Amino acid sequence: MTGRKRYARLVGYALLAVGTVLYLGPFLIQVANSLKTDPDAASHPLSLIPDPLSLVAWGKAFGFDTALDVPLVRWIVNSFVVTLSVTVGRLVIDSMAGYALARLRFPGRRAVTAGVLAVMAVPGVVLLIPKFLVLKQLGMFDSYSGMILPLLCDAVGIMLMKTAFEQVPAELEDAARIDGAGVLRTFAEVMVPLARPSLITVGILSFQGSWNELTHFLVATSDPKYQTLTLGIAQLTAGPLQGAQQFPLKLALATLSTIPVAVVYVVFQRHFVRNQVSSGIK
Amino acid sequence: MKALIAAGAAAVLLLAGCGSGYDSAKSDGGSDKPITIMFGSSGEAETGAVKAAAAAWQKRTGHQVRVVPAQNLTQQLTQGFAGGTPPDIFYTDPTMLQQYADGGSLYPYGDQLPKSTVDDFYPALRQAYTYQGKLYCAPKDLNTHALVINTDMWKAAGLTEKDYPKTWADLTKVATRLTTKDHVGLTVGGDHNTVGSFMLAAGGWFVNEDNTKVTANSPANLAALKYLQGNVQRKVFATPKSLDAQNPGEAFGKGKAAMDVDGGWVEGQLKSDYPNVHWTAVELPAGPKGRGTTVFSNCWGIAAKSPNKKLAVDLVKSLVAPGQQKAFMNAFGVIPSRQSLGTWAKQTDPKLTAVVDGVEYARGTVSIPGFTSVLADFDTQLEKLFTGGTSPQAALDTLQRNGDDAVKQK
Amino acid sequence: MVALQTRRAAPPVHRRRRSPDTVRQRRAGVLFSAPAVLVILLFLVAPMLMALWVSLLHWDGQSNPFSGSARFVGGANYSELLGHDGLLRRDFATSVRNTLYYVLLDVPLVTVLSFGLALVVNQRILRGRGFFRTVFYFPSITSSVAIGVTFLFLFQGGGAVNAILSLVGVQGPSWFTDSRGLVQIVLAGTGLVDPGHLPGWLAAQGMGLSVWDWLAGPSVAMCAIIALTVWSSSGTFMLFFLSGLQNIPVQVEEAALVDGASTWQRFRGVTLPLMRRSTVLVVTLALIGSWQVFDQVYVMSQGSPGKTTLTPAYLSYTTSFGDGNFGGGAAIAFVLFAIIVLFTAVQRWFGRERS
Repeated sequence: MTGRKRYARLVGYALLAVGTVLYLGPFLIQVANSLKTDPDAASHPLSLIPDPLSLVAWGKAFGFDTALDVPLVRWIVNSFVVTLSVTVGRLVIDSMAGYALARLRFPGRRAVTAGVLAVMAVPGVVLLIPKFLVLKQLGMFDSYSGMILPLLCDAVGIMLMKTAFEQVPAELEDAARIDGAGVLRTFAEVMVPLARPSLITVGILSFQGSWNELTHFLVATSDPKYQTLTLGIAQLTAGPLQGAQQFPLKLALATLSTIPVAVVYVVFQRHFVRNQVSSGIK
Repeated sequence: MKALIAAGAAAVLLLAGCGSGYDSAKSDGGSDKPITIMFGSSGEAETGAVKAAAAAWQKRTGHQVRVVPAQNLTQQLTQGFAGGTPPDIFYTDPTMLQQYADGGSLYPYGDQLPKSTVDDFYPALRQAYTYQGKLYCAPKDLNTHALVINTDMWKAAGLTEKDYPKTWADLTKVATRLTTKDHVGLTVGGDHNTVGSFMLAAGGWFVNEDNTKVTANSPANLAALKYLQGNVQRKVFATPKSLDAQNPGEAFGKGKAAMDVDGGWVEGQLKSDYPNVHWTAVELPAGPKGRGTTVFSNCWGIAAKSPNKKLAVDLVKSLVAPGQQKAFMNAFGVIPSRQSLGTWAKQTDPKLTAVVDGVEYARGTVSIPGFTSVLADFDTQLEKLFTGGTSPQAALDTLQRNGDDAVKQK
Repeated sequence: MVALQTRRAAPPVHRRRRSPDTVRQRRAGVLFSAPAVLVILLFLVAPMLMALWVSLLHWDGQSNPFSGSARFVGGANYSELLGHDGLLRRDFATSVRNTLYYVLLDVPLVTVLSFGLALVVNQRILRGRGFFRTVFYFPSITSSVAIGVTFLFLFQGGGAVNAILSLVGVQGPSWFTDSRGLVQIVLAGTGLVDPGHLPGWLAAQGMGLSVWDWLAGPSVAMCAIIALTVWSSSGTFMLFFLSGLQNIPVQVEEAALVDGASTWQRFRGVTLPLMRRSTVLVVTLALIGSWQVFDQVYVMSQGSPGKTTLTPAYLSYTTSFGDGNFGGGAAIAFVLFAIIVLFTAVQRWFGRERS
């Protein structure tokens, strides 16, 4: 029995080792090649040791080379402005709506719940042209509001918060009521703190989702001054730097765009994985 | 759910009412908004040169200019037009001209240019940018296809200047001789542009003289395709992609091909990326029906919705002035669109003599709305042709069918 | 990309006495849900209706589609897309074909892989499970754009993947230039079919594509994109399976152990049936995702080589913003929507709980 157990453990670790190489390998190659010269990256793509070590690509990324229009600072600022606005906006809107749907009896509640559920069934890419049309019609094309407001539409987050508020024992809320607290105070001072884990989940999903968003910004803007980091990299790769050109630069930018979501993920990881599993949401 | 849709419908009606960005007839009185120039840049040199030109005009007039290199010009322009916020000035090519003109997005300002300027543009270019009797925009420069030759490989194969190919048969012969195990004889971009130049030499073309009928399915075009396909199969010609390069210039520069059918823009690419390659350029060899090459160009389009049309026209005048065109050529190797600068261009850059001489018999790109996707599909057919996935006749049949559709829908 | 397990929701709202609270609650409820409803109406319902209108127009994007200046053409865009033998229909058929092969490879691969990862990470005898869970999940949080750039680097002609292949003596393909499908490569390679001279039945047409083209199989470029998606989405799906595995009561497993069942028997007889719900969920999500591929194509291939990576979503985008045919682009979006709904419904029907 112990022999078989040891054998099973050995196989298990072997599998994990292979898996780790496959899942982390591309990131290591990405970082390593961003530190190479163009010819070195082209001829030794697999090597993890840059030879010679070169910061040229990173220099280019930060605009120390006028050859390319890489307004990195603008991209990053845009990304943070949009991502943080969307995250804060979604937290407010989702928790309010989630609370209303979970705990408040008001006319139209069932219709709204059904509507939110139906919204979740609409695939995002189908909305490319529709969103463009509405932004244009509202005069919000090529503007920050046009980039941010449509992303506040977050049915998943609403349902997540609804589930979270439903799980708060009613007694706690009743107690607050008896103390004479109004709806707003009950919500803000009793319910929201109790739903913290779900709020964190919604926050992370929002941050990650809008930081990585491409299609919406693609149709919501045409002026390069509104490019986010993700959009900028995508357009650079699909446009002027198509094909096998300047991979170290592109990989440096890709690395850069991964860092913020990685940091957020690592910091909040524990809450996140647990909650994402229990809510069953991608 | 029903309530939701009803409310949505109400919102739509409201939105449809408050639509902005359209139909608002702005006066031409000018505004303080900076003038925006959007263009598809070939690289640092072009971006820098346009920026410098804009800065000079800004200094002279005191009006702000914003120079925006587009990542994907067509898509960004379409969004700009549809979104009601187009750039004031932008690159336009003949393919897009009719579409933009039909949609009322393009401001025809040809009659505001001095007659001497208009007459100085090459006739082929003037014609390419004239639609329904109006010259819509001023051609900014031009380029034609020529045969670029790696002189070191040429000599190594025991060839001399006398061997520069005059005919397709010559071309096959030298390409065969230049093919070694390290490189092929000739790289041809396997797209409609390069193939088009061969069609012209064979006496064919995509459309008839006045762009009203598609003439893809002709014996001449078939001859051109068969000639190219045969040499690709014999491995003396190769597409850049099959040589692991993004474009013919790259394949040529990396030494994977001894010759390259390319435009004058290749000079900039070779200078910056492959400075050690020695090369020269000659005119394309004649096909069954004599010499043929394609002329590529852009013009400075002005948006009909621009609030600053007067200033924009003034800016364009300065951009097509002889001095400015010379500066552009020096910066990134485009041939001036003015006939009077032809001799100057050849003297300044003798290597581009063949490119300049080609204009005499060149033909411009196709100008039919919706033809962009037809030609893109033809590129796919060609890709298949050169990898053995289809036959020349089948490729032309498809092109003919798609082209007929596009013409019908117009 | 969503499936809430609403079944697990908490008990219904407590019944309260009618009180002055009721009025306040009603008002608060409306106010609290108003922002969400407003955003949904303005940026989801209204746009959909507007696009539905545009899909009935011949609109080149250069006028106001709601002012009557664009020509109303009724269902012409839809019949052009589905009925007329032209470029648009052929492109659409090509994109549907590509996606069908994508589904065929991606869905089973990602389901099996993520199930496998979950099983390994769930083994109690292994240490460091949390670490490995993080490792496998990490690709899921990064953007498809960044990953697309990296995979483009890995899969270029002289890239890392081909370097690895050459270590084992295989000459790798030039991933993003070969426009032939896998099936075509095999058939032409073995000399069974000469693509220059197709036999009649292979040359027969359906929706503008020959049978030979329909049966092409995915191109190597598409395979690279599928590898990317499988790699980057398996972490998320692993979590679904993991939560399913952790919901299996320990007693059930112990009972099987006492019965003396082997590992394999336990897996087949106990684990697999209990994982039915998780599997259905993962398959549904992977299926819906397969029809929505856009970012990777935009970054990596723009539909090339030979349109073998063209997807419906990308075609809808280029038809609108590239060709200025917004009516056609909107029509593609709605047909795509219908396809996704249809596939999900069929899949749900197959995966329904049987008594």
